[in-house]
Amino acid sequence: MHTQHDLTPLTPADNSEEFAPVAVAPLMEFWLSFSANRGALLASLFFTVVVVCALLAGVLAPHSPIEQYREHMLTPPVWDVAGNADFLFGTDELGRDILSRLIYGARISLLIGLTSVLLSLLPGMALGLLAAFYPKRLGVVIMRVMDVMLALPSLLLAICVITVLGPGLINTTIAIAIGNLPGYTRLTRAAALSEIGREYVTASRVAGASTWRLMFNAVLPNCMAPLIVNATLGFSSSVLEAAALGFLGLGVQAPTPEWGAMLSAARDYIQRAPWVVTIPGMTVLLTVLSVNLMGDGLRDALDPRLKRGS
Amino acid sequence: MSTQREPVDPSGQPIILQAQKLTRHYQLKQGLFAPKATVKALNGVSFSLAKKRSLAVVGESGCGKSTLARQLTMIETPTSGQLLIGGVDVALANRAEIKSMRSRVQMVFQNPYASLNPRKQIGATLDEPLLINTAFSRSERAEKIAAIIDRVGLRPEYVRRYPHMFSGGQRQRVAIARAMILNPQVVVADEPVSALDVSIQAQILNLFMDLQDEFDTSYVFISHNLSVVQHVADEVMVMYLGAVVEHGSKDALFSRPFHPYTRALMNATPALHEADRRIKIHISGELPSPLNPPSGCAFHQRCPYATAQCQLELPQLRPWEGSQVACHRLEQISG
Amino acid sequence: MSLLTIKNLCVEFGHGRQAFRAVDGVDLAVGAGELIGVAGESGSGKSVSMMALMGLIDPPGKWSADQMLFDGHDLLNMTVQQRRKIVGRDVAMIFQDASTSLNPSYPIGFQIREVLKLHMNLRGAELDRRVLDLLEWVEIPDAKNRVHAYPHQLSGGMNQRVMIAMAISCEPKLLIADEPTTALDVTIQAQIMELLLRLQKQRNMALIMITHDLAIIAEMAQRAYVMYAGQVVEQQALPALFEHPKHPYTEALLAAIPEHNKGARRLAALKGIVPGQYDRPKGCLLAPRCQYAQARCKSEVPSLQNVDAGHVRCFYPLSYLLSTGG
Repeated sequence: MHTQHDLTPLTPADNSEEFAPVAVAPLMEFWLSFSANRGALLASLFFTVVVVCALLAGVLAPHSPIEQYREHMLTPPVWDVAGNADFLFGTDELGRDILSRLIYGARISLLIGLTSVLLSLLPGMALGLLAAFYPKRLGVVIMRVMDVMLALPSLLLAICVITVLGPGLINTTIAIAIGNLPGYTRLTRAAALSEIGREYVTASRVAGASTWRLMFNAVLPNCMAPLIVNATLGFSSSVLEAAALGFLGLGVQAPTPEWGAMLSAARDYIQRAPWVVTIPGMTVLLTVLSVNLMGDGLRDALDPRLKRGS
Repeated sequence: MSTQREPVDPSGQPIILQAQKLTRHYQLKQGLFAPKATVKALNGVSFSLAKKRSLAVVGESGCGKSTLARQLTMIETPTSGQLLIGGVDVALANRAEIKSMRSRVQMVFQNPYASLNPRKQIGATLDEPLLINTAFSRSERAEKIAAIIDRVGLRPEYVRRYPHMFSGGQRQRVAIARAMILNPQVVVADEPVSALDVSIQAQILNLFMDLQDEFDTSYVFISHNLSVVQHVADEVMVMYLGAVVEHGSKDALFSRPFHPYTRALMNATPALHEADRRIKIHISGELPSPLNPPSGCAFHQRCPYATAQCQLELPQLRPWEGSQVACHRLEQISG
Repeated sequence: MSLLTIKNLCVEFGHGRQAFRAVDGVDLAVGAGELIGVAGESGSGKSVSMMALMGLIDPPGKWSADQMLFDGHDLLNMTVQQRRKIVGRDVAMIFQDASTSLNPSYPIGFQIREVLKLHMNLRGAELDRRVLDLLEWVEIPDAKNRVHAYPHQLSGGMNQRVMIAMAISCEPKLLIADEPTTALDVTIQAQIMELLLRLQKQRNMALIMITHDLAIIAEMAQRAYVMYAGQVVEQQALPALFEHPKHPYTEALLAAIPEHNKGARRLAALKGIVPGQYDRPKGCLLAPRCQYAQARCKSEVPSLQNVDAGHVRCFYPLSYLLSTGG
C-alpha cells in the first residue's frame, strides 16, 4: 500500500451516545488554552510575584521604604564588590533601600494600574453600550465628545488634568483614567454594534427583553473578549504613564516610593550609580512585559472559543 | 382579553392573528445631497391565522418575508396597516397588553448558529422568556425548562451546556424549545430548517408537527423550499417584492398554481423523479431592487405573459377559483 | 476514458489520540465529460475529499491515497509544485458562497483578468476581450459595464456566475462544484444549474457536483456517490440510484424527503445524528441508526463491494424496489 504520509491507526470508539465531548466548564477550558501559551504562563508567574509583593509589602520588605540610612548612601547591590548584604539591590541617593522601595512601589503601581483601568473601563463600557443602542442622538453626542478627547495626546491630557487637580496618587489615577476612556468607549461601541445585529439579540427582543436587559445581559458578555484584552494592555500602559508622570514630577510625590519617581530622582546618578536607575527600570520593564504577555495569552484563549461558536 | 371581541373564522375556530394591509417602508440615507430613498420592503399584506392552522409564506430573498416576520413578532411597527392579535390592534394596545401579546407570538429563527447567545448556557437562554414574562419561582421555572427540554428531544443535563457544544439540529431544537416555553398561540418560523441536513430536517419538521398536535399552536412558516411547504402548510401565501401574489389552500396551490411567479417557482424546483419534473418556465433576470420597484406589476419584467397593462397597473388580489391571485392575465393564461 | 481515478483516499486531522478521519477510504472515478454527483450531509467528508484532490489540505491535516491519477498523470509520484501546476490548470473549483469567495476589494473584471494572466499568458486587448467573452458566456447582462463592478454590488447569483467564469477561464478538464446553489434562491438556482449543464456539454468538461440536495443530483448527474461519515456507502448510475437504492442510508435519505411522505403528518426521519469525532461506532458507521442492522454490522466494518454495475458498502444491501412517489 502506497501512502503519501503516515496515518495513525484508527482506534474505534465505543458506540457512545449522541453528541458532545465532555462539557468542560468554561473556566477549565479557558485555563487549558491559556496555559498552552508558555509566554503567558511565565508572565503570569512573574506577575503573581509582583502582586504578592504588593500585598505582603509589610512582611517582605527588609526595610522601611522611606527610612534613610545616611551612612549607606548610594551603596551598590549585593553582587558588587562594595555591596552590602543588608541592602540587596543597593540604596539610592538618600540612603533608602531600593529593594524595599520597589516592593512598596509595586503596591502603588498596581493600584494605579488597576484603579485607572476600572475607572476608565466601566464608564467606557456604559457609554459605548449607550452609543450603540441609541445611535441616532445620544450616540452621536457621546462619540463626538470621545473624538475630541482622543484628539489630545493622552499624556498631554493627563498633564492638563493634573495641572488642574494638583499632583498626587488619586489625581494621577484620575488623569490616566480620563485619557483611556475614549478607547474603551469606541471599542465597546464597535463590538456592541456588531452584536446588536445578531439573531440572538433579536430573539431576546422577541422574548420581551427590555433595552437594559439587552444591553447588559445579552450584548455585553459577548463584547467582553476585546475589552478584557485591552484592559490588560491598558493596565500596563497605565503603569508606564504613572511612571512617566512621576518622572516629570507631576505624579506621586516624594517620599512615596513610586517606580517612575524613583527613575526621575536618579537621573543625576546614572553615571556614578547606575543601579539606582537600571534596577527600577528593569522592574518596570518586566512588569509591563508580563502584563502584555498575559494579555496576548488572554486574547488567544478567549477568541478561539468565540470563533468556534460561530 | 375580551373574548367577545375575538373574531372567528368560517369554521368557527378563533382567529389568533390578523394582518391588515401591513406595509413597511424604510428610509435610506443616500448621502448629504441626494434625496432619501425608500425601500418598500412590505406592501399591503393581509391574512388571517386561525387556531392550530399553519400558514406558509413562500418567496425568494427580497420578497419581504423577513420583514413580515419582524412585523408579526412586533419587533418593528408598520408604516401603515394594522396587526391584530386576539382581535386587539397592537398599535392601540397599552404596555400590559403588548407584554401579553408578545408572549403569545414567538419566533424560531433561521440560523441555528446565530440565534442562541454564545455566552449563555442554554438553560439560561430558556429561562429568559420565563423570567421576563411570568412570575414563576426559580424552581417552577427550572421545572418548565426541564419539561420543554425533554419535549424537544434533548437530555436534561444539556441545560448547563453552551451552544457551541451542539450540532445545528440540536441548536434548532433549543430554539424551538425557547419559542414554545411560553406556550404561545403563534410561532413564526423563519426558514427554520433551511440550514439543516435532510435527515435532521425531517426530525425537526416532525417536532414541529408533534408540538402543534399537542399544544394547538398556529404557525407562520416562512420557507423558500416548496417541498417542505407542501408538507407543513394548510395555506400558502406566495410573496414577491413585498406583496402577496397568490394565496390559497395548500392543495389548491400545489395542484393548480395560477400566478406566473408561483408557477415559475414550482417548475424551477428540482424534482427527484422524472415524472414530477416540469418544463422550466424560463424567467430571466433577477429580483428587481426594492429601492426602485418596477411600475405596475412588480413581476412584469420577468413574466412571460406580461402585456402593456401589466406595466401600467398594479394588479390587486382577487378571488380566482378558490384562491386569491394578483394578476391581470388570469383569464388568458390559466389552463 | 477515465479522467480522474482516486483509490482509498484518506484525510486525517489532529494527531495521536485526537486523530480524526474526516475521509476514510474513498474511491472515486470520473470519465472525461462525465457529470457525477456526490451526495451527503454535513460530516460526510464530501467537501474535504475534493479539497484533498485540489491540494487544499494544510498541515496539520494529512491525506493519503493508494492511487490518484488525473488525465494520465500520477499525482502521487510527483512533487507538490508539479502537482499544483497540473491541478491548478486543469481542475477548477467553485464554492458555496460566491460573495465571500471573491475578493471584496477588487472589481470582478480585475479578478478574472488576474486568473487569465497567470494561467493563459494573455495580455492587453486580447485579455480584455476574453474577459468580456467569459462574462457574456456566463450570461451576465451588460457585461461591458459590469466588468468594473465590485462583488458587493452584485447579487449572489451574479457572483456565482463570476466564480464560474473564473473557474472556466482556463478551460479546465474538470470542474468541481461544492454546493454552488445552496445559498441561492430557487429560480436563480435553476438558472445556474442550466448554465453549468450547458458549459459542461459544450466544453466536454467533467463536472463533480457536490450537494446535499438529492433532487439536483437526480436532475443533473449521470452517476452519483453517496457518502456518510467519511466513507462512500453507495455508487450507482441515475436514475437507478434513487429508484432502487441499495444502501440503507440512501434509502433513509430518500424516505426523509417531504416528497416521499405526501399526505403523512410525520416524515420518516432517521433517528440520531451523524457520528462525530468522539462517537464513531465499532463496525458499520450507520449501524446505530440503521433499521436493518444485524449483529455483524455492529462488529465488522463492511467494505465497498461491486453490485450490479455499482458499489455498496453494506453486508445486507437492499434488493427490493423503493416505491416512488405518493
